[in-house]
Amino acid sequence: MAKAVGIDLGTTNSVVAVMEGGKPTVIINSDGGRLTPSVVAYSKTGERLVGQLAKRQAAINPEQTIYSAKRFVGRRYSEVQSEIKNVPYRVTAGPNDAVRFEIGGKQIAPEEISASVLRKLADDASKYIGEKVTDAVITVPAYFNDAQRQATKDAGKIAGLKVLRIINEPTAAALAYGLDKKKNETIMVFDLGGGTFDVSILEVGDGVFEVKATSGDTHLGGDDFDKRIVDWLAQEFLRDQGIELRKDRQALQRLTEASEKAKIELSSVVETAISLPFVTADAAGPKHLETKLARAKFDQLTADLVERCVGPVKQALQDAKLSESDIDEIVLVGGSTRTPAVQALVRRLMAGKEPNQSVNPDEVVAIGAAIQAGVLAGEVKDVVLLDVTPLSLGVETLGGVMTRLVERNTTIPVRRSEVFSTAEENQTAVDIHILQGERELARDNRTLGHFRLEGIRPAQRGLPQIEVSFDIDTNGILTVIARDKDTDKAQEITISGSTQLSRDEIDRMVMDAKGHAEEDRRRHEEVEARNAANSVAYQAERQVKELDGNVPLNEKARAEQLIADIQQLTRSESSDIARLRQLTGDLQQLVYGLSSASHGSTAAGGAQSKTPPPGGDDVIDAEFRPSK
Amino acid sequence: MEISNEEKEGMGRGSERPAGAENTEHERLKTELSREHDLYLRTLADFDNYRRRVERERAVSAQAGKRELILPLLEVLADFDRALEHLGDVPEWMSSGFVAIYRRLISILQAQGIVSYESLGDTFDPARHEAVGMTESQDVEPGTIVAELSRGYRWGDEVLRPARVRVAQ
Repeated sequence: MAKAVGIDLGTTNSVVAVMEGGKPTVIINSDGGRLTPSVVAYSKTGERLVGQLAKRQAAINPEQTIYSAKRFVGRRYSEVQSEIKNVPYRVTAGPNDAVRFEIGGKQIAPEEISASVLRKLADDASKYIGEKVTDAVITVPAYFNDAQRQATKDAGKIAGLKVLRIINEPTAAALAYGLDKKKNETIMVFDLGGGTFDVSILEVGDGVFEVKATSGDTHLGGDDFDKRIVDWLAQEFLRDQGIELRKDRQALQRLTEASEKAKIELSSVVETAISLPFVTADAAGPKHLETKLARAKFDQLTADLVERCVGPVKQALQDAKLSESDIDEIVLVGGSTRTPAVQALVRRLMAGKEPNQSVNPDEVVAIGAAIQAGVLAGEVKDVVLLDVTPLSLGVETLGGVMTRLVERNTTIPVRRSEVFSTAEENQTAVDIHILQGERELARDNRTLGHFRLEGIRPAQRGLPQIEVSFDIDTNGILTVIARDKDTDKAQEITISGSTQLSRDEIDRMVMDAKGHAEEDRRRHEEVEARNAANSVAYQAERQVKELDGNVPLNEKARAEQLIADIQQLTRSESSDIARLRQLTGDLQQLVYGLSSASHGSTAAGGAQSKTPPPGGDDVIDAEFRPSK
Repeated sequence: MEISNEEKEGMGRGSERPAGAENTEHERLKTELSREHDLYLRTLADFDNYRRRVERERAVSAQAGKRELILPLLEVLADFDRALEHLGDVPEWMSSGFVAIYRRLISILQAQGIVSYESLGDTFDPARHEAVGMTESQDVEPGTIVAELSRGYRWGDEVLRPARVRVAQ
């Protein structure tokens, strides 16, 4: 079956995504990137280059390298006069006043340029998923008129694609956040891309989106922010060194790259270093550019650019006859919305409302388009949405710790089992205490249920094998079964609703665990140290008893003293862990000594000094404390 | 939260239904079963594909991790190249030490399979070169690289960083 992809055909860059196993995946292009420059070039040898390759040769072939074709697609020559001034290639009028690019004496339609980009994206997608791509959903700005939409559709056809649908970019972004499932909500999509700014207000109801208003600035974007840094750096350098870097093409290129990198870094840190050693030279020798840029300075350099976003937002609200309090959801699109000052502006304009920004803003439109493509190709409805367990599930074991059987965020249905044993001699019953939560100790987690498995044959501690299984079905219903492998006696409990916690409750429990992580780790260590000490003391006691006459009196006395010390320490709540470990180590040494000494004296006696390992492949993971 | 607690033995449940409804019920269950089976097979297939993809991507992501470290290092190498042009201006002990450090850096990258390539005199090829500008030149064919501003690096078949060049007009 042919796959359908979603394509965000952008002014500067394009992105393609596909549904895979019910989840949208952004496709990595043949150059290893997720963004493909929307650039097409015709080389002097007549070869057609698309994407990164076209961009790399733009400097030596500016007249035959077409970028920003989206600004011309589906428009009349008479409408695009102001755009023509911004591009180095030749734009002429074709039949019916249509826009044509003149390349090597030939006229080429903007649709053909878009088709080349679409073809490359589809080819890269085919290669990536190992399946031929024939169908696509393509996005366009909400303000595109019929002619522009038709031209985009034609571009798809020229590229050999079946265009399943043309959808609006803001609608795609809203789809990526699943906002189509909302009832009667008003959504603002704030899209600040590389070179364009669009604001759209949508209304959603019954899965249908309606565009209420659009506004924007066709020449405002991330590139303008970069340029502010370039100019600032160049001016500082000119002031300090007397050299104009912008006149030197290579220096300018290095400046531009460093500026973009600095801008990106300033989204996560408050100050960044810009370093361009040997950026230029004069008679006195080479010169280096070394400076720091603080976010506050960057904000100051770009304050007017950020302010230019205000007008279109207000305009869109006014056109939709709405106020900011009517907006239920805000979606951020475009890499420039990562800039803290831009985010602050959105919050300020939207009365402090938090925008949706968990999906990569460079990819959110393509992801939404892929979801739409999946729905139209009939793939999405077949997909079973698998749930995950929001919190870890486990049982209480010796020392009051929680032993996890199912970790949080495990996809269900799932079945996990582990083998446990007893902690006391001749223990005939175990308590199964079922817990949910992220804390280390049982008492800090939530109890889901209790039950008791009885009728275990009396045996040495550690010998009985109790298999505990957790089974969670697709509905989140948990069944816990405990089975004694010796008698095959089993007991079970069913708990429904273990996954039905509110989002807040889950978040609170996870945060709580994070906040207590250090303290929990320490307490867990304490419990482990105590369990280890008790186990060694138990072994030592048995051995001393078994070897009775064969143990030298002084060693026997020392062992008994150590055992008594350990027992006293483990019984007191505020035990000194370091001392406990020391005592355990000493006793362990003594036990080893006794064991090797006894091998000499009771050679054929075959006295077992250590509990034999349980048979089969099963490993005992923990022990249950005795039932009370 | 509902909790039901029962002994595992004796869990069998029986139910009786009128005979007429049995056939339609039977049909319904058959359709449902085949649909479920289909879904099951699809999931298995999806999982199998996913597993293969994960194996393939594991190799790729190990490389991606390396690349994240190597790409900025290539910038440092370019800085070294620029510095080397001015080596004549410093004492010999300084320049020879400097060159030794430079060579060490190069050999570390070479050990990872990263090699540089010459571009000067070649014909411009966007797969390996990035054009920074053009220069008038009578001596060579148009399209020939007349200056290498920063070196190109290759990692196996892949061009890690195209060379930055100036091209004859």
